[in-house]
Amino acid sequence: MGEKTLKHIKNALVMLLILGVTFFISLVLQDVLTMQEHITTVFVFAVFLVSLITDGYLYGILTAFLGVIAVNFAFTFPYFAFNFTIPENFFSALIMIVISLMTSALTTKLKKWQELKAEGEHEKMRANLLRAVSHDLRTPLTTIYGSSSAIIDNYDSLSDESKRKMILGIKDDSQWLIGMVENLLSITRIDSGNVKLIKSPTVLEELVDSVILKFKKRYPDVKLSIDIPDEVVIIPMDPILIEQVIINILENAVHHALGMTKISFTVKLNDGSARFEISDDGCGIEKERLDRIFTGYYDITEQSTDAKRRNAGIGLSVCATIIKAHGGSITAANSSSGGAIFSFTLDASEPNEEEI
Amino acid sequence: MNNNRYKILFVEDEENIRTFMSALLEANGYQVILAANCSEAKMMYFSYVPDLVILDLGLPDKDGSSFLSEVRSSDSTPFIVLSARSDESEKVRLLDLGANDFVTKPFGSAELLARVRTCLRNFCHSSDGGRLPGAKFTLMDMVIDYDARRIFLRGEEIKLTQTEYNIIALLSEHCGKMMTYSAIIKAVWREYPDDGNIKRLQVNMANIRKKLGLRPGNNKYIVNELGVGYRLQDES
Repeated sequence: MGEKTLKHIKNALVMLLILGVTFFISLVLQDVLTMQEHITTVFVFAVFLVSLITDGYLYGILTAFLGVIAVNFAFTFPYFAFNFTIPENFFSALIMIVISLMTSALTTKLKKWQELKAEGEHEKMRANLLRAVSHDLRTPLTTIYGSSSAIIDNYDSLSDESKRKMILGIKDDSQWLIGMVENLLSITRIDSGNVKLIKSPTVLEELVDSVILKFKKRYPDVKLSIDIPDEVVIIPMDPILIEQVIINILENAVHHALGMTKISFTVKLNDGSARFEISDDGCGIEKERLDRIFTGYYDITEQSTDAKRRNAGIGLSVCATIIKAHGGSITAANSSSGGAIFSFTLDASEPNEEEI
Repeated sequence: MNNNRYKILFVEDEENIRTFMSALLEANGYQVILAANCSEAKMMYFSYVPDLVILDLGLPDKDGSSFLSEVRSSDSTPFIVLSARSDESEKVRLLDLGANDFVTKPFGSAELLARVRTCLRNFCHSSDGGRLPGAKFTLMDMVIDYDARRIFLRGEEIKLTQTEYNIIALLSEHCGKMMTYSAIIKAVWREYPDDGNIKRLQVNMANIRKKLGLRPGNNKYIVNELGVGYRLQDES
């Protein structure tokens, strides 16, 4: 509601400003240059401008009427008095109103078209995502369905060892599916309508603790070194989503940094912003992949049949979406020593102003 | 032997989940009673009087939380809630309704069994422990002396402030139960929770962890659940 009033005030101000300038120009035309025959043209132009800039039809038509009255009152004989008996006045009023209507109709159409186009892009991205996800789901589902039906149909003829192997495969691939679902849920959490991100004050140490526990549970053998500030740092964020970002980046290192022996995770504070950095000593990121690493998943041109590789794609795309929704920035680079460095920043300033 | 086993009531409408859960629980020495909906759960609860209830929330006849609040009005039998929703506000609501813990679907067997053990053990101990004169609380190498209001770690005293002690004492009285921010704030400060005192609680908690020498990833006494609350645990 407040937004609507604000829009009206803005539109009214634009109209008054343009009318004021027009009035002044007309005065100059009449008194200094004595070219009053062009005054109507100037007002017609003003009507056109107002219809173009303001929203809807109201202000354009209003300008047309005010313009007719102004021209009648100030710039046609008798000066500074109303006289509605002159037929030219009606004619110029008609022209101004027609121009106002046509311009407003055109701009309104244009705005609608732009909205439709943006929506179309969004739809396209969604469709791409859906296609890519359903494609990726097939690989693990093949393992799960295939292995389980093989076990149940050949229960007695399979050796214990091969049954064990197949069950392990089922477990691994279900875990992959869980990760995929978590990522999709994160996207819908941000994307669902116009719901704004709910930031709550989160203690950095507790966030890191939660991340490490989850990560260690899944990858107990990966070496992870942590370096965070000693003091208590409270950062406003959606902790579940940021946790997802860090886990996605860590998992990406586990699966794609070939030759990696350890991951280091540091958080540094400066100037009211927190910089999270996750680096590994693996093979780094290929140059061609680097610029599209956060958007690749939505990009239908990237065709890869390797599902494991694609999941990394969705993971990093989700990271970028989450950080963007938090108003932060995320980057990927190769370090001089060879590994990859992912880093993102969050606003860590005390939220006193907005909350109280 | 057979009659001596813990009885667990498992309420879940999905047959596949019922099947693997009852196999898992039976294999680990529990007696399992199954129910597929709210009314069945009520009937089973009052005829078998289980030691623990594992409750799925999305039931066909009624929301599972109505069963939880009905039991809570008379009994304190521990509840573990299975929830597919990863929404913190939902978790907080259920914990404040009286659930002892929650496990988010999908879960691994080890995780679930650990929660079951914790719930059962703490419920049995806390019913006789607590505030008796001379009562002491022991958790691994940490000892709380309630009468003296002092805490010892490996025999050495840890100097805590009044507030810090009150928080730890509260968590220890509900050991194994996930305590929400608002439950802790109401008990320790007797205030209605808002952003200000949640922050105060978080800072106090950070100081406690520092004094106990706990580092991220190695919080062996206190589990933190982001956006929900804290729990003192006796098994890592």
